[in-house]
Amino acid sequence: MTRVTIPVGPQHPLLKEPLSVRLTAEGERVLEAAMRLGYVHRGIERLVQERTYVQNLHLLERVCGICSHVHTTTYCQGVEALLELDVPPRGLALRTLMCELERIHSHLLWLGVLAENIGFSTIFMYSWRDREMALDIMEGLSGGRIAHAVNTIGGVRVDLDRGEMYAARRLLNELEKHVHDLLDVVEHESTLKVRTQGVGGASLEQVRRHCAVGPLARAAGLDRDLRRDAPYAAYDRLSFEVVTETGGDVWAATRVRVLEVFESLSLCRQILDDLPSGEIATRAPRRVPEGEVVSRAEAPRGEVVYYLRSDGSDKPARIKIRTPTLPALSLVREQLRDINIADVPAVISGIDLCIACADR
Amino acid sequence: MRDLLSVLVTVFVFPGFGFLVACALLFEWIDRRTIARLQARVGPPWFQPVADLLKLLSKENVLPRQADRPICRALPVVSLAAVLTAALYVPVGGRVVYAFEGDLIVVLFLLSLPALFYFLAGWVSGGIYSILGGSRSVLQYFSYEVPFLMALSAPAILTGSWSISDIITQQAEAGWILLVQPVGFVLAVVGLIGKLKRVPFDIPKAKSEVVGGPLTEFSGRKLALWHLTVDIQTVAGIFLLVNVFLGGGDLTLLQGSTPLGLARAVTFAAKALAMLLILSVTSALYARLRIDQLASLGWRILAPLGLVQLAATILIGVG
Amino acid sequence: MEIETLLATLGEACPDYAFEARTIPVDETVIEIPAACLEDVVNVLRTTFSAYHLSTITGQDRGTELELLYHFWHERGITLRVALPREGARVRTLTETIPGADFYEREVGEMLGVTFEGHPGPEHLLLPEDWESEPPLRKAQQAEEGDP
Repeated sequence: MTRVTIPVGPQHPLLKEPLSVRLTAEGERVLEAAMRLGYVHRGIERLVQERTYVQNLHLLERVCGICSHVHTTTYCQGVEALLELDVPPRGLALRTLMCELERIHSHLLWLGVLAENIGFSTIFMYSWRDREMALDIMEGLSGGRIAHAVNTIGGVRVDLDRGEMYAARRLLNELEKHVHDLLDVVEHESTLKVRTQGVGGASLEQVRRHCAVGPLARAAGLDRDLRRDAPYAAYDRLSFEVVTETGGDVWAATRVRVLEVFESLSLCRQILDDLPSGEIATRAPRRVPEGEVVSRAEAPRGEVVYYLRSDGSDKPARIKIRTPTLPALSLVREQLRDINIADVPAVISGIDLCIACADR
Repeated sequence: MRDLLSVLVTVFVFPGFGFLVACALLFEWIDRRTIARLQARVGPPWFQPVADLLKLLSKENVLPRQADRPICRALPVVSLAAVLTAALYVPVGGRVVYAFEGDLIVVLFLLSLPALFYFLAGWVSGGIYSILGGSRSVLQYFSYEVPFLMALSAPAILTGSWSISDIITQQAEAGWILLVQPVGFVLAVVGLIGKLKRVPFDIPKAKSEVVGGPLTEFSGRKLALWHLTVDIQTVAGIFLLVNVFLGGGDLTLLQGSTPLGLARAVTFAAKALAMLLILSVTSALYARLRIDQLASLGWRILAPLGLVQLAATILIGVG
Repeated sequence: MEIETLLATLGEACPDYAFEARTIPVDETVIEIPAACLEDVVNVLRTTFSAYHLSTITGQDRGTELELLYHFWHERGITLRVALPREGARVRTLTETIPGADFYEREVGEMLGVTFEGHPGPEHLLLPEDWESEPPLRKAQQAEEGDP
């Protein structure tokens, strides 16, 4: 049989963002994959050096549309550490609330994308409809569905009043009922299971060698979650379970992410029930003293790392961003070896791509 | 002269081409609306299929350099002609353009031609997605066509006639064939879903895998004709199943009676809509299967069931 | 993992060098190592201390020299600092033991102009193939450009 090259991307119905994957296939079997990034590269690491710390809040939020809040959270944590600033408890709690809401909306978005890519558009419609509830809460708090601009150096910019808290609790309860239905589908629907079980399995060893993080790694059995292992924001006084699975296939990853939504809903409720009173931010000086900091957070897709160096001026000397999609792309090159062509959409969707994050 | 006029009206208006096209667009709308409602969406307004067709007819048509132009131009026309001709022999509420002994075989043959043309369209239009989709459509064809043919042959063997009209009249006396051959009915529905390439069997044109499948490079008028072909194939398939398994235009389940023309039309319409509902609901309920899973389903479950049905019919049914 | 134990073990692996550790926020330990000892140090981290998770590799231009930071994570953050000269910056690749370092090294290579010896496919990761100018994160480039 002759070998053919099937291009997946940069433009392809499968991908929401441009990524070039060249599959070499023989018949219905993929032999290997070559990947090319950089289609959404905006040079953000270079741009931040010419903007002040406050201006960079605006820029870094736009590294990614789906996990925008966690980027500014990690960044603010780093700068606050350099400034030796203490964020008031209410600010930390609100920051954490937005983080968890973002996790919910990101996982539901991903579930819809996966379902659409395996031909199950009904679940795509349902999960995106349920996602609207999470977006409504975020909009009530910050005024924005995707780009929230909630964080500032020293805390948060917006506050919750009683009415919004009540509305948020009501929406969270309703959302939980719907997510129970989605979990039911994931666990029992035969066509979805037959398309995702045993597909794209990654062993724990592969995950370790490629340094993969997040739900993808937890689906293979890696028990690591930065919210528990290196608590930041308000996570040290909240309780939750870290969800892991074995097998590392797309079905395990689906299950991990849906169960994580339940954990996030519980965390949101804990925060709302026990919201400390007081200030939401501490005033931050313009100039940051010289120093370096490595700041980490658990984005919906995994560990996000920021390395910040300041030289005493009001502009950062170096910001290095590493988002969780990059090692996932490294891992998926191996997962795409020797699989069925029809499994390619499930495998590529299963790693929860965020190319804008990976390219910066 | 009056005979010529009546023939022209029958062929071009009712139950011929005009009626078929109108029905096709109506069924497409009902299908899209049902699926949308099941997916918690609003769905398109009634004129959407008409608007889509007119829009496509007015668009530019670009083919890649390596595509074989004359064949690409001919294929959609021939495909449409095949299904329209097939539909001419399928009775609608008792009325048919032309009926003869053996018309069931002709209809089955003509309805299976579009699959071949679909594959050819992928083959000659060039490009990796078209060829990949085309080869999948052939593999799919062999998985559903055999059970489909077996399921539709069983009623013919049961009634001892290969004419659709005869099968209908016999059901009027003896009762719906669905009651006697439920397995055959299920196989026929599954086969029809495969033939129409609806979810869960829309593998050849799976957007996330092969972009548009064999029709990736088609646009404008050619694509409009392809869409119309699928719609008319849906109508013809549904009408065929209603006639063969659900007794055509007749009202009572068991005892036959031949009610007035209007009552017959209404019953026929009700049965056809029920069939369409079955197709729409199954499309909303399931994810797409993989081609090897479909092949496995076809040869391990459907074909043996079809054989069992045929054997039972031959041994028990006749006489 | 205790930092003193780590430093002691590193001292055994690479005896010509005196290893020291300093802390930077947020609870991150930085150890300066010579470029020649990189492979041995990483082996010690992975085998003796099970610290196999490489978060990323940061590259930056410090003016007088280039600096590579290898950020590891195991119960706490460990960063290895490797100083390289501005001309002819070369260091051994880690992809043989950590395949995940592939993308990180490619990015540092194209952004800073560092060569990773033995890298299986050092093409550009983010920059276009026909990128002619200086590596973007080098200081010389910044001084020339003025307004963004």
